Amino acid sequence: MSGARGRVLAAMSGGVDSSVAAALLAEQGYDVIGATMKLFCYGDHVPDRPCCSLDSIDDARRVCERIGVPHYVLNLESAFGRDVIENFVSEYAAGRTPIPCVRCNTFTKFRDLLRKADALECDWIATGHYARASGGELWRGADPAKDQSYFLWGIDRAVVRRMLLPVGALTKPETRRRAHALGLDVVAEKRESQDICFVPDGDHTAVLARRLGPDAPALSRGPIVDSAGRVLGEHEGYARFTVGQRRGLPGGSREPLYVVAIRPDTREVVIGPRAELLGSGVIARDVNWLVDAPPTVGAHVHVQVRHRAPAAPAEIVRAGDGEIELALDQPVAAITPGQSLVMFDGDRVLGGGLIAASRAALPILAA
Amino acid sequence: MAALVDPPDPGRTEPDLLPSSMRQPIYLDHAATTPVRREVFEAMEPFYGPRFGNPSSTHRWGRDARAALDDARERLADCLGAHPSEVFFTSGGTEGDNAAIVGPYLAVRGTGKRAVVTTPIEHKAVLGAVHFAQAQGAEERILAVSSVGVVDRGSYDALVRPDVAVVSVMWVNNEIGVVQDIPALAAIAKSRGVLFHTDAVQGFGKVPIDARAVPFDLLTFSGHKIGAPKGIGGLYVRQGTPCEPLLHGGSQNRGLRPGTENVAAAVGLARAAELAIAEREAEMRRLGAMRDRLERVIRERIPDAVVNGGGGPRAPHILSVSVPGTDSESMLMALDLAGVACSSGSACTSGSVDPSHVLAALGTPRELAVSAVRMSLGSLTTDEAIDRVAELFPALVDKARRLAGAAA
Repeated sequence: MSGARGRVLAAMSGGVDSSVAAALLAEQGYDVIGATMKLFCYGDHVPDRPCCSLDSIDDARRVCERIGVPHYVLNLESAFGRDVIENFVSEYAAGRTPIPCVRCNTFTKFRDLLRKADALECDWIATGHYARASGGELWRGADPAKDQSYFLWGIDRAVVRRMLLPVGALTKPETRRRAHALGLDVVAEKRESQDICFVPDGDHTAVLARRLGPDAPALSRGPIVDSAGRVLGEHEGYARFTVGQRRGLPGGSREPLYVVAIRPDTREVVIGPRAELLGSGVIARDVNWLVDAPPTVGAHVHVQVRHRAPAAPAEIVRAGDGEIELALDQPVAAITPGQSLVMFDGDRVLGGGLIAASRAALPILAA
Repeated sequence: MAALVDPPDPGRTEPDLLPSSMRQPIYLDHAATTPVRREVFEAMEPFYGPRFGNPSSTHRWGRDARAALDDARERLADCLGAHPSEVFFTSGGTEGDNAAIVGPYLAVRGTGKRAVVTTPIEHKAVLGAVHFAQAQGAEERILAVSSVGVVDRGSYDALVRPDVAVVSVMWVNNEIGVVQDIPALAAIAKSRGVLFHTDAVQGFGKVPIDARAVPFDLLTFSGHKIGAPKGIGGLYVRQGTPCEPLLHGGSQNRGLRPGTENVAAAVGLARAAELAIAEREAEMRRLGAMRDRLERVIRERIPDAVVNGGGGPRAPHILSVSVPGTDSESMLMALDLAGVACSSGSACTSGSVDPSHVLAALGTPRELAVSAVRMSLGSLTTDEAIDRVAELFPALVDKARRLAGAAA
């Protein structure tokens, strides 16, 4: 007897969100198939992680056993290594600050996993993201503190129609309550995974060192300069820095100093006062739209340039060839190459792109 | 011939996702494990009840258990052409393989025999034990195998020298079913004064095994591959074979494997072994005919399907098929969801499908290695089940290839 609502492949990390998502769908009468993606080697380098560890696979399996659905482990290691980890490394080497979760969503979850779903004749694909899919469009999650729509701008638009995001309508405390009510005590109080799953102990430079070698330019000594080109100190590798960062910079100046730019070809980390951190415009590439009629030049939208940053009003001033440029109504701090630009219309996700550059609010002198 | 045991009921905890055409799920993974046979279960039952004694005790309960254990050992010895003092009970294949490689190595390494020889297509229990011996100072030597998995005689001749502590070659390979010429390999080892171990976990009850006729020194077998419970196995150790115990602390099993014996399971193992050997020839004919039929249909329906190990000497119960343009993981899930339980032959701790070290050693091209599906026949396999799989497998392959074509 087949569930009246169709078959769904539920991506299950072993965490509370995806567990509740799968359990809710099973409760609603879907034929749920649980799948945990094995994304990287559980070797010596990665000790127990809150996400993606063997323990997490065990937890996902226990949840499936509890709710009475089959569970499989999918080995997506080589594709994840190529599409996500290699890109993560090359982005840092290029002086940018990548978000591997965005690429994981775009390539691993909603492309590779979707192919598995197709092979299993699944009508739907489900995850534990705090976002909502409705009417073929993607919307912010109901819990503003947990909203993860920022990470989903890159997925193929056609996929949105097949996405089920049941916890997107809940707040995190509600999700935990539902977990208890569903008998999923094994995961109900699991702590959140804040770090990047394949980066042990939050030390991304260890991953870079292993892949690039410890003597790579991104991890080698270089000058700390100001926007006028004055050398103010030295750093131990520009990949240790991101725009907006204060940690690890020389002290002793009158006002707080921030990283305002990274120049990989000269290994320079450029620092400056907060005013130099502000951008009045942003340029993004690899733009992906999630709506039928994407906004065009002259349209006013809200943009988010960082996870958890408030949405800022902006106007599209240039668009085409996968690129877009927006003028911000008010300057925004720490627009960082490699991060994502996501455009919203209220709670509706219009689309996004990878931040390529910002237009400084104040002119920064050329180095 | 009807199935020897009751059909399984694996669907109790899960909703039935099977299409209505699949009234009864099909178990085609006997190389992974087999159901406990009813005769075996009945033989064991008294030892979970009134005959619960510890065989090392001197009182009547102990004597009763001891008698059952001695009886089981004797019957197993008969099955192997061995003396009862040469039969040891273990927890299964992994323990047997470890004991049979590490034990002899530790016992003879002081005499200058410091090398351990094996094949690249062994079960991980053997490969792991050899790596452990290497960590203890052994020199590891890996034999060459042909593209169908047969040990290369020249390589064997070159590597099995008198400085070898123990050579280990599996009788029947668990992934592709290739059968090695154990009588010849064991004889060469013997002529060079080298201890010879064979992992017969997949071979027991499938190929004729006789310690009087074949000069192996150690042989590992496992209960749950032949209708006995999991957690029991046997190790044959020829009289006089130097072998250090892995466990210490008691005199059971002549000190080679101390620990209170699992009497019930030992009794079950003996019963299962007797049945397997009594039925061997007829059952292998039955399975071979079904396997050949399934293989023929798959080859007809999927002309570019490749039978791994095909053309080599193979045991009749294993069929490993690779189909270009498909992947094992998706095929196994699709088969499972359609009610057919198969395997890729090698699963890692996490349960994910990893590329097979066996197929890699055979030089199998990557496209074929990642698409291998192992079907293993046994007591639950019927003609009707084979007919249904012969229908379903090509249909799933067609579907997978259509999807792959659409995605490309």
